[in-house]
Amino acid sequence: MTTLEDDIRRVFAQVWALEKGSAAPELLPETVLLETGLDSLGFAIFVSSLEEALGYDPFTLSQDAYYPQTFADFVQFYDRYRPKP
Amino acid sequence: MTPLACQIAAGATEALLSGPGGREVDADSLRGTGCAAGPGSGLDPAARVALYLKDPLEVIRALVALDGQVAALLLLSQGLSAATAGQLARAAGCTILLCDEAPQEGDADAEGGAPLRRTPAAVLAPHRRAEPPAASVATQWLMTTSGTTGLPKIVPHTLATLARSVVRLRPGMAGSIPGSVAGGMPIWGLLYDPTRFAGLQVVLQALIGGGRLVAVDTSLPLAAQVAALAAAGVTHLSATPTLWRRILMVPDHGRIPLAQATLGGEIADQPTLAAVRAAFPAARLTHIYASTEAGVGFSVTDGLAGFPLSWLDAPPGPVRLRLHDGILWLRPPVTALTPGQTPGQTLGQTLGQPPGVEIDAEGYVRSGDRVEIAGGRVLFLGRENGLINIGGVKVYPETVEAVVKAVPGVALVQVSGKRSPVTGALVVAEVQLAPGADPETVRLAVQAACRARLEREAVPAIIRFVAGFATNAAGKLMRTG
Repeated sequence: MTTLEDDIRRVFAQVWALEKGSAAPELLPETVLLETGLDSLGFAIFVSSLEEALGYDPFTLSQDAYYPQTFADFVQFYDRYRPKP
Repeated sequence: MTPLACQIAAGATEALLSGPGGREVDADSLRGTGCAAGPGSGLDPAARVALYLKDPLEVIRALVALDGQVAALLLLSQGLSAATAGQLARAAGCTILLCDEAPQEGDADAEGGAPLRRTPAAVLAPHRRAEPPAASVATQWLMTTSGTTGLPKIVPHTLATLARSVVRLRPGMAGSIPGSVAGGMPIWGLLYDPTRFAGLQVVLQALIGGGRLVAVDTSLPLAAQVAALAAAGVTHLSATPTLWRRILMVPDHGRIPLAQATLGGEIADQPTLAAVRAAFPAARLTHIYASTEAGVGFSVTDGLAGFPLSWLDAPPGPVRLRLHDGILWLRPPVTALTPGQTPGQTLGQTLGQPPGVEIDAEGYVRSGDRVEIAGGRVLFLGRENGLINIGGVKVYPETVEAVVKAVPGVALVQVSGKRSPVTGALVVAEVQLAPGADPETVRLAVQAACRARLEREAVPAIIRFVAGFATNAAGKLMRTG
């Protein structure tokens, strides 16, 4: 769980640096992702970069549409769809 | 033709429009807004006026005041640079540019062919006319296309063609109008630019169809916009699938008391439709298909992606549908044409299709939208010319390829769209390196070049390096997807 969360933080920081050219804000469990300042396009690039890094995209895998609001929701969502070894 | 001022729905509520900053305009004041015509004003029936205004309420006041009074109205988005807006105004032969700032001392106002700059304060006169005058002119409404290839194209319309899909509501009709509010009239939320086709549809529906229009300040964070929509009690909202997905990420989105949720401007996929339905279970769910080529569209209200296969035999409305070569073809209703003319002769002029649109002998127009049949539905796949739609912003692969190709170290490049669960699509560039070129150096150079020369959506989100490309018999790179 910690590893996945770390991976997500790392990719978020990379996308943020590329899009905003600055250090990414701290992601607390209760941080609302929309309020971080990443817009739709930035968020799309974040999800796509995560797919490249992790090898899966839970938004595409999930049968029901779900839009995580907080960072904790987001990590949990990725954990739920993590490919089982 | 009846001017817009005379078509504003009777029985419209007192506060017809509310805009950013809590400003309100009532129906009587809007109907009574005239234009300061007269000698020297430049506002005569031959005038061609370009609108380039920030406040959506000012755009609407200008449209109401000038429709029927001038020869043409050119609607320019604030998304266009001032230079592009000026170029378009000149291309459309505009004599007046209605904008937020009056010309400064020393501005080249009288530059050859440049339109005169005027502010709404100088041109629009509140309560100038006691009652709306009869139409003296059939005003042409000039819209611009969005797209990233060169200067946007100007597409001529009339109020009649733009307002064709407006549904005229009456208080008390609530029971018979799906999605309307019991006992009351709809409150329309405006998140779109009113100078673009989708936004103008919302504006005309509210003005002509009846109800109230709430325009929010789209420069605010989305959470603040959602709060404003909820506080205003918005019941009807139209947005792109990308914007809906974003709205669903705002924790308080459920406070908007929606009776009607409309998706348009991009392909509405099943997960997004399902998510909007789950978030607003009381709302009627509609997704709109519109074809610029055919100048028409239709709406689907069963909450499923695409449209029923049975519509090919029995269309629900006046537009006839046909599949050929995996492409959707549409036949616009004959009523949209000038009487006495055949579809083939008049489509271009009447509906303003871009040049090069293919029309068959029976009047069906090639939409350019690729479709497939699955599970009794006709599903949209994307554009046949490879056009990539990123959250409603359309990007031609060729435009991006031209920029990437010029970067040192790039031998060949192919740009395509990759599906995104957030924005519908993202731009992917596949690059074949020149011998000896360093991938990381080229990656940074490609990013820098694209950021400098393209709009944000067109900058490749993903850059992949490949060993080579498939080419067709003519030696051209094959475009897939």
